[in-house]
Amino acid sequence: MDNMTNKLLKVENLSIAFGGLKAVDNLSFDINDGEIFGLIGPNGAGKTTVFNCITQFYKPDEGNIFFKTNTGEVENLVGKKTHELIGKGLVRTFQNIELIRELTVVENVMVGAHIEFKASLFNQFFRLKKTREEENRIRKRAEEILDHFGLSSIKDMLVAGQPYGVLKKIELARALMLDPKLIILDEPAAGLNDSETMSLVNIIKEIKNERNCSILLIEHDMKFVNGLCDRICAINFGKLLAIGTPKEIQENEQVQIAYLGKEDD
Amino acid sequence: MNNKLTDLYKTHKPYSQYALFGIILSLLPLLVSLGLVKYSLLTTVASILIYSIVALGLNLLLGYSGLISLGTAGFMGMGTYLTAFITADLGLPFELALIISVAVPMLIGVLTGLVSLRIEGYYLAIATLAISEILRKVFVEFDFVTNGFSGKQAQYPKLLGFLQLDRNGTYILIVFFLVLVMVMMHNLVNSHTGRALSTMRGSEAAASAMGINIYRHRLLSFAIAVAFSALGGVLYMHFVKYTYPNAWILMLSLNILAVIVIGGVRSISGTILGAFIVFGVPDLILKRLPIIGSIDGAAYIFNGLLIILVILFYPNGLINMRYDIQRNFNKQFKRGENING
Repeated sequence: MDNMTNKLLKVENLSIAFGGLKAVDNLSFDINDGEIFGLIGPNGAGKTTVFNCITQFYKPDEGNIFFKTNTGEVENLVGKKTHELIGKGLVRTFQNIELIRELTVVENVMVGAHIEFKASLFNQFFRLKKTREEENRIRKRAEEILDHFGLSSIKDMLVAGQPYGVLKKIELARALMLDPKLIILDEPAAGLNDSETMSLVNIIKEIKNERNCSILLIEHDMKFVNGLCDRICAINFGKLLAIGTPKEIQENEQVQIAYLGKEDD
Repeated sequence: MNNKLTDLYKTHKPYSQYALFGIILSLLPLLVSLGLVKYSLLTTVASILIYSIVALGLNLLLGYSGLISLGTAGFMGMGTYLTAFITADLGLPFELALIISVAVPMLIGVLTGLVSLRIEGYYLAIATLAISEILRKVFVEFDFVTNGFSGKQAQYPKLLGFLQLDRNGTYILIVFFLVLVMVMMHNLVNSHTGRALSTMRGSEAAASAMGINIYRHRLLSFAIAVAFSALGGVLYMHFVKYTYPNAWILMLSLNILAVIVIGGVRSISGTILGAFIVFGVPDLILKRLPIIGSIDGAAYIFNGLLIILVILFYPNGLINMRYDIQRNFNKQFKRGENING
């Protein structure tokens, strides 16, 4: 395990295959503290697979994923249980919003702090002091985040039936509940219109600055990525194409070929 | 309609409603003694309340965790035999019998869950079906304890070693436990465990990402469901005072599922409504009707038809009819206002 002084996440020689298909092939990159890092690539490049490997939804065949946890220790995430990661300071959102229709907006956000609840089952059955204290404290925090996103007017409504842009914000709010070190966003701008995308860019920048965390995101929308990310990693067919600043990536020939195709003679 | 549902359900503290419901139910013995209602009505209502307790547990499992158990009757039956054995054969106090008769089925439930819940949720249905059949076989074959087909008897409970309850007293005890279970359920589903169960049912991916241990929570909700089934069994034993193997067959488990489907998934009051429909209507109404009353198995036909109708028109249970009634009422009312104004 090498030096990770300024690094938060280090993906090392990551590979995973589904049957004969190598979805991710010997991929390495790292993310610095307080950085917005973009992972781009054409459809089927393996971006979401990389995410799922980092968050342990998939178990990679090879490679290491080192992460500097809440406590400052560096741990290899490979082999950890999916539900253990949030406690280490790593949280994610989903491409197809995964919110619970039967719960209200604020309840959905409160689920983001699930591991902070310590009241026993007995305590919850009779809603004793500890349960009430925890509920109040965490509900208040959820309401503050929702308020920050301008969603306090809908906090007690059910999630079912809310517009898409609002759902994205609720999911983001849920991810913020435990003050994560690294937030992983899977296509945050997908399905949003221009003004919603603009507002999302601002929110993400704000989150990074105010909460002192790093953000890793997958995105198709190049304009969105270029305007937001400090560094970008471009991949195709599971292999690394280039890592660099948005400008460097835009000028990279291999990236252009992957995205626009090669000019035939 | 959905948002209205939240307003009513989430922000409301229903303790007073539950208490009122309990008080009204407690008046029934009085009405019987005044001769206003039939003596047998108390037995019917008591069994409805017992099945309500059992169904509330299953609703936590089905409605909140998205799991199905087909072993409800088996665990309930186990509760009856255990408490009968402990109080009648061993002569131990009712309170101790209550604790053991709930704890032992729970333990067996957890063992069943440990094996079946690790893979996929629906294996629980198969495993519980098997356990239920095994238990029924045990009730028949272990006749040195269970008396085989002839069944086993117990008495009305004696509380704290001196307070001997009679039929009415036991009925009140059942009402007390139902209200207690309603309050516990309400509190649980509105606390972090309840939200975790809902999250797990809605999206396993989101649940794991938010740190919810899916296996543990599946086990937990199943253990609670089994505990409520066994509690129902204990109360049944000390009210009916008789248990026999064929009372605890798959049909009962399915009827309790029907209670939830008909009454209302994820609804406490819906569960009670469902229990009154499934276990009350056949006894109290169908049997008294001419012609229909004489048909064997009219109750099955009634429940079957009702399930189809409910799924077609109220997929979340008949309890949601109240919102339609309210809306129609509001519409009528507003129309009147417009004419006047």
